[in-house]
Amino acid sequence: MITLAHMLCLSAILFSIGIYGVLARKSLIAILMSVELMFNAANINLVAFNRFLYPDSLWGQGLVLLVITVAAAEAVVGLALVIAIYRNTKNLNADDLHLLHD
Amino acid sequence: MTLPLGIFYALSALMIGFSLVVVTSRNLFRGAMCLTASMGFVAAFFALLGGDFLAASQLLIYVGGVMVLILFVVMFVQTPDLFRARQTSVRWIPALLLAGGVGALFIRAFCHIESPTELPVLQPTSTALGHLLLGDMAVPFEVISLVLLAALVGALVFGLERES
Repeated sequence: MITLAHMLCLSAILFSIGIYGVLARKSLIAILMSVELMFNAANINLVAFNRFLYPDSLWGQGLVLLVITVAAAEAVVGLALVIAIYRNTKNLNADDLHLLHD
Repeated sequence: MTLPLGIFYALSALMIGFSLVVVTSRNLFRGAMCLTASMGFVAAFFALLGGDFLAASQLLIYVGGVMVLILFVVMFVQTPDLFRARQTSVRWIPALLLAGGVGALFIRAFCHIESPTELPVLQPTSTALGHLLLGDMAVPFEVISLVLLAALVGALVFGLERES
């Protein structure tokens, strides 16, 4: 039988994969994709708590709907920024972006 | 091992495998395709946990909307020399240690959580979720539409070609 601990451990693994991607990848698009992984780990947690601890309520699932919407808005604005940066610098390497530095 | 647990482990292994490809692949396009598959498996977990409406919205919004957008941007910016270039920065070992540490800490903390063994039978959730969204959650529901409008305007402003 699947328990709450199974789901929490799964989402912890997914979250740490996302952390590694955000910290280690160079490309801005890859960093955005890793952030999406972390969003999904948090969503799995919310639905799991809803199912196992408060099965009579649906607040966890409603919150996940809001998180999905915010993540979609974040992806849209983030990708528009990526395209604007690419158009100006022809470079998406996060290590090389120091326009304000010098 | 019972059948649900077997399905859980199979889905988890596939999802973690695809997610690992997302953060390690040199080809961004392959990474984006694997992220699409990974989002699909997250929808499967939502369905496993009784969120039928959520699984459908995850498929529609993430797999159908956000991932198509990411794939479009990848095709827009990826040049052939990027396929062979190294994709991880020089700090990948501390990043790996930090991510592994955080993951191990979470798993260590979560292993002892007790969960109830008697769970109610799964029910369709769409009707109840609709009542919740337009009842108790009406204020966040309306605010989220403003957020979407702001995101739309912001994306247009950033994406427009400057006339010079």
